[in-house]
Amino acid sequence: MMHSWRIPAVLASLTLAMGLAWLTQGTGVVLNDPARNLHIPEQLTMPLQVQVAYNPQHIFFRYRWPAERAHVYHDMLRFADGEWVRHGASGVGPDPDGTYEDRVTMLVDDGSVPEFGRYGGYITAGANARFFSDEAKPAEVAANPHLGKTLGESEVRKYLPASRHESADWRSVVDAAALQDQRKAGYFLDLWHWRAGRSNALGLSDDQLVAEHRLSDGGRGPYTSNWDGEAKQPLWMFAREIRPSHALRWEEVQAERIDFDGIYYLAESFAVPFDPKHDWQNGDVIPRNLLREGSGSRGDIRVHGQARWIEGYWDVTLVRERDTGQPLEDKMFLDQGRYDIGFAVHRSASGSRWHYVSLPHSLGLGRTADLQATAFTGEQPPWSQSWFETTLFYPGQVNWPLLNSRAHAGSLDIAEGKPVRPRHSEEQLAHYGVEMEFNDAIIRQWRLTLLAGLWMLLGALIGLWPAFSTRNPGERP
Amino acid sequence: MTGMHHMLVHFPIAFWALATLLVVLAVLGRGRAAQIAQVSLLPLLLLSLLGALVAIVSGFLVWPWQANLYSPMVRNHILMAFWALAVWSMLTVLLWRAGKTAFNGKQGWTLVFLALLGGGLFAITGTLGGHLAGAPTAFSQLLAALGWKLYNTFYLPTWVLLILALLGLGCALAGVMGRRRSS
Repeated sequence: MMHSWRIPAVLASLTLAMGLAWLTQGTGVVLNDPARNLHIPEQLTMPLQVQVAYNPQHIFFRYRWPAERAHVYHDMLRFADGEWVRHGASGVGPDPDGTYEDRVTMLVDDGSVPEFGRYGGYITAGANARFFSDEAKPAEVAANPHLGKTLGESEVRKYLPASRHESADWRSVVDAAALQDQRKAGYFLDLWHWRAGRSNALGLSDDQLVAEHRLSDGGRGPYTSNWDGEAKQPLWMFAREIRPSHALRWEEVQAERIDFDGIYYLAESFAVPFDPKHDWQNGDVIPRNLLREGSGSRGDIRVHGQARWIEGYWDVTLVRERDTGQPLEDKMFLDQGRYDIGFAVHRSASGSRWHYVSLPHSLGLGRTADLQATAFTGEQPPWSQSWFETTLFYPGQVNWPLLNSRAHAGSLDIAEGKPVRPRHSEEQLAHYGVEMEFNDAIIRQWRLTLLAGLWMLLGALIGLWPAFSTRNPGERP
Repeated sequence: MTGMHHMLVHFPIAFWALATLLVVLAVLGRGRAAQIAQVSLLPLLLLSLLGALVAIVSGFLVWPWQANLYSPMVRNHILMAFWALAVWSMLTVLLWRAGKTAFNGKQGWTLVFLALLGGGLFAITGTLGGHLAGAPTAFSQLLAALGWKLYNTFYLPTWVLLILALLGLGCALAGVMGRRRSS
């Protein structure tokens, strides 16, 4: 009887401990910290629907994805007490003012970058990339002979592994002749880049590529800067016929609904030189980018019809010539061709690495593939085929050097060329991506959890010890 | 070592699954079946512990230690394996100490409690192993429905760790006080 209370007390303690552990597990570590480039989106996955069609000359990609609201304003200048204040610079997580554009991007390969077909965009995430917690210092990038001196960059962006002597070292860019040979061999990814703010208003998309860096195709892009750094004021403003005040108003920019037929952007065709003597009012807004017609290879991709956000969904169709005649910058879509593609979406006013990406998919033009392009004649795709549905996920801070290191249990599988898809789901990768952002803290807390559980069980054993006495030592079961 | 680990883990899984049944039968059953369960339980538990130790050692040889540390599911696998081993070790020691009296009254219910707890922990350990081997089971969906996705590391906030430490200390003190009174 002397142990009558001890057993229930110990079992109650164990039950309490296990219950508490179950209810609170996974909390207390994953916290946003802009100083370390940490922000975890509320949703880790999202759906994307895609259709592809082609006629003898053009190929059409149609994308549809949910978004709570459309973000078409991007990088705006608001007049406040005599100064032009920037809203929407690329930052950590969603822009607090909502002035960061929605985007859909697509990487395309024709088999010349075989790792891309197996691992998708992961192969483009190199070491010390922009907005990773261990991002390279701008001064060091600017001093790099190729990235800084030749390309004029100060950030490490996407790059392909073989563009470096050591893929884990962004500094070790191979020499210019090798880069040129790689390009001729097709070792680059075509990058279709539609922007709701900086290209869509004029019915355009940007055309870029990923090689030793994220580069733009030759020619003129759909936007240019509208900022005079020396004078700290815009270069251009709205013509009076378009906006009598020469500007938008901050209230318009902040409104949830967008009038796609109205003026929400500044374009070359209705811009006039900025007049600093104008009677600017607090709350006047001028976009920090001037839209203009693209040209050359960079202007190859256009919006087909109108890309619009309607009732919670973006519906965007892009069109390009199947053969642009630019084999060093674009991947050509040939009859009986089979391609690897990967999608990404930026939404919720988030930029840079705060996007949702897909695993790689195959695309077939007359050949069996994940995503079947439909042949048609005429100018307008019938879109009679069903949607190709895929799940996009937040990739977190997982990069190619990590995946090929001893810290990744699957690095040997990668070395053997086994693809990611049978091994990991999108949801799994999203959770792994988030955990990797807090890896050290989680490992520390996990160790303590392991020990605390063992300590609890040891205490329970000692607590139960007197109740399991050896009064009958000879009576073993 | 991957294949070897897959083979070896079947021993503790099978032994502990059987032990769970035997504990229930030994405590709640009657007659000859209960007697057989009582007699056979301790040898089975000792074999289970041996099998578990071998399985754990072989598991650590599958991937480099850094890969184990960096993988949320391997972390979970390790944690659950150690906790399961601890619970079953505890049950084994208590049974060894108390002999047949362990199956009576509150002691018996304690064994049932520990067996179910240990059974749950090794079931989770095995499920995680299935995931890591590329063969997930529906059990993980049940765990997700109960609030834990296996893709996330099982770790506790610091304040809960402190509570666990205090509860463990409290239990131990209760035991030490009980021993002093007994002696």
